[in-house]
Amino acid sequence: MAVSALKRWAGKAPASVFVAIGEGMRERVERLFADPRIERAATPRHAAIFLIAGPMRLEDREDLRRLHDQMPHPRATLLWAAEVGEALGDAEKLNFTLQPADTSRADEAALDRLTRIWAELSDGERPSEPDLLHDEPPNPWQGIGPHGQGGKGMMGGTPYGRPMAMTADDLRDGLALDPYTARFGPFLPMFPPGLLLEMTLQGDVIQSAKVLRPPLPQAARDDASAALLRLARLLDLLGLPVLGHRARLAAAGDRPSSTLETLGRAIRWSGSTLAIRPGLGAVEGQGDLRTRFDDLLAVTGGSSAETRPELPESAHLSSLLPGLEWSEAMLVLNSFDDETLSALAVVKEDEDKDGHDHEGSGYMHHEHHGHGGHQGDGGHDHHAGHGGGA
Amino acid sequence: MGLTDLLFFALSAVAIVSGWRVFATDSMVRASFLLLLSFVAVGLIIVMLAAPYIGVATVFMMAVEMMVMALFMVMFMMNPAGLNPMMMVHQHRFSIAAGVLAFAGLTAAILFTSFPENSVDPSTPVVHDLGIELLGPSMLIFETAGVTLLATMIGSVILSSRSGRFGMADQGSKPPGLEPDGEPAGRQPEQGGGHHHH
Amino acid sequence: MTTFLAALLLILFLSVGFAGAAVADRAIPAFLAGQTAPSWRLSLADAVRLLQTQRIRTEAPDALLWWLAPALYLALAIVGLAVIPFGQDLVAIPSEVGIVVWGSCEALTIVAVFMFGWSANAPLALIGAYRYVAIGLPAMLLSMFVLIGAALPAESLGFIEIVEAQRTVWNVVRQPAGLILFLMLGLAISLRGPFDYASPEDLAGGVTADVSGPGLLAWKIARLTMLVSVSAVTATAFLGGYLGPILPGFVWLLLKTAVVLLVLIWAGSVFARMPPARMMSVIWTMLLPLSFLMLLVVGVELLLWG
Repeated sequence: MAVSALKRWAGKAPASVFVAIGEGMRERVERLFADPRIERAATPRHAAIFLIAGPMRLEDREDLRRLHDQMPHPRATLLWAAEVGEALGDAEKLNFTLQPADTSRADEAALDRLTRIWAELSDGERPSEPDLLHDEPPNPWQGIGPHGQGGKGMMGGTPYGRPMAMTADDLRDGLALDPYTARFGPFLPMFPPGLLLEMTLQGDVIQSAKVLRPPLPQAARDDASAALLRLARLLDLLGLPVLGHRARLAAAGDRPSSTLETLGRAIRWSGSTLAIRPGLGAVEGQGDLRTRFDDLLAVTGGSSAETRPELPESAHLSSLLPGLEWSEAMLVLNSFDDETLSALAVVKEDEDKDGHDHEGSGYMHHEHHGHGGHQGDGGHDHHAGHGGGA
Repeated sequence: MGLTDLLFFALSAVAIVSGWRVFATDSMVRASFLLLLSFVAVGLIIVMLAAPYIGVATVFMMAVEMMVMALFMVMFMMNPAGLNPMMMVHQHRFSIAAGVLAFAGLTAAILFTSFPENSVDPSTPVVHDLGIELLGPSMLIFETAGVTLLATMIGSVILSSRSGRFGMADQGSKPPGLEPDGEPAGRQPEQGGGHHHH
Repeated sequence: MTTFLAALLLILFLSVGFAGAAVADRAIPAFLAGQTAPSWRLSLADAVRLLQTQRIRTEAPDALLWWLAPALYLALAIVGLAVIPFGQDLVAIPSEVGIVVWGSCEALTIVAVFMFGWSANAPLALIGAYRYVAIGLPAMLLSMFVLIGAALPAESLGFIEIVEAQRTVWNVVRQPAGLILFLMLGLAISLRGPFDYASPEDLAGGVTADVSGPGLLAWKIARLTMLVSVSAVTATAFLGGYLGPILPGFVWLLLKTAVVLLVLIWAGSVFARMPPARMMSVIWTMLLPLSFLMLLVVGVELLLWG
């Protein structure tokens, strides 16, 4: 039958996995994806398997449920050493009680399980998981106003309970553009896992950033492997997934110095350093993005990661990110080691005293928009028929 | 009715219908794409009229122009998918009157003009001739218009930009004095400076 | 009759080119990453996987444009390729203004990418879309100046005349920098590597961030087809197109296209992408003046020795 032949073909594709990384699991998960049998999806929309790796905070569970519902059918979930209660229903669990020295065996078990789930899913043996949340807009349509726009005149109004953006002055050049306020995180793939930011964007320039949830603590190691993985993240963001993959392979396996040298040369030839504007993301004592990148690059030459002095008290993401473009900000976010980043992303309780009350300046808070580590629809899909896989 | 006629009527229908929809849609980005579709249809009709360069260039220029227009509208009025429907037309009475007048005028012009019927010889090098015309007898007109437009664009960018020659516009950018510590050179602005903020 | 033959050749060229591009698109990055070459079946398996995946609707998208954008992108790639001659009078759409037609395809491609990102009604896709327009428009401008430089020696805007004018010397010798600038446009228009501002990693896939299943597959197909088209245009404008000894012109064009395509995929994997604002100033302050200079050099050369 044509249909079953198609299914057999689909099973040959690498398993597309969207991963939410929990406490202490970031480096292990990244090394896991050096394997060609699985593929890390950039968004839940591209994925078939939702991998939840490591312990999660209580407040992240709702976001995990939203992410789950954003995946297209057929889909499956694997909880890898994750403790999320009943938040994900009766999803498949894989726990490890092995010694730290045995991590490679635990990783192998996870890989096996992921490929098996994908084989069953593409075969149709495993039913696709149903929605966890109700599929409905967070707010009813509000058709106030002469044209049903929910507001007065041409602008304004709150369709679907979300205020329309109004114009406000841009930080950089004073052009009056729309500010767009939304929550980004906590499992956005280019963010450090667990970090939830509320940001106001104009175009892709960040006007303000507020830390709502700090990044999840990761195993603070300061060796060459950690540095290589950090380098790999920056390379991915610079549009060099090939070199990023090589850095991850080097971080996962043993590293003959010749491999590292060719990698270092390839990175230098790619023009990565030139691509980064000097002075970008400078923090006192930590240098700018370029020096931090060069330090990571030096690891491929055999030198050990340099230890930087303590951060100044005042350094914080809320002062570091505004004024940067989105892509620059992502590079800056990923250029710090875990410890420095946690220090930069402390939740500040008091800063919002006067910040929440500026209706006059036209800032609007989209409380429900973009929530849940992803964009757009806050996890409320309208299923358009077309059930896949069945 | 030959294939050419059919094609002509189809393209005209597309141009007219999409031109009408421009005013009936509730999102500005959709409106500019509909306008683009209308222009593309007109461009293809021009190609059929044996003016390939002008026709294709119309498509080319309109694609760029409509794109820039849509981009600016998203920038200044973020309404990503027309989530917030809006009324796209205003000044109803005036526009209805203007529309009726224009329609009547153009119809009259079409009805009372006797159009020449000398079809272009297919072997005429039309593109070549157009090039000679543009860069020959009419060169002065086109170059003057081009340079004027360019100067206007550069001038408007300079006038509206925040960073001026003597510092940021909203931070009292003042030229230095003609002598050390003297009065700022140039004309002094009246009270207000034009920056109204809160 | 020749038009019919050219249309058949166009279909053949598209299928061969597309299959080759799909394989090379996986093989070259894998090779550069130091892995074993993946099986050709992988691309097909991935396509089947996407075909069987549910198509997701976001909240209040512009469903029509979302569906139309990949189709438009694909159509533009095919129209762009159709004005390329496979032989002295073997061309599917004969046009004496070939490079303007190609220029319109470039401009409308930018519109298609914007539509795709805009209609999802999602912030990251929208940011990807207008970021792409900001970079795509000046890149397209650049390519037009470069193409005019290629058209100058032919004294025509048609691709056949441009190829015939290269019988003495290929345009790549006349303006090597022009070829490099045009390859940059090739990267931009096929959404690749250092010029992929529409679907970068830092936007979680940008314009494709909220697309799943068949929609994503259609987009990927259109992207690869555009890669084939832009490679063929590069081969025609700079590498003498169908010219070559012994073998038929069609085969020569195919070979040259393959070389350009491999170079594009390679360049897309080994060069870093600048943040958009930096790229913008590079294009406007360095590359555009360079393209003017190239045009001037070709013009002076033709005046003196033409």
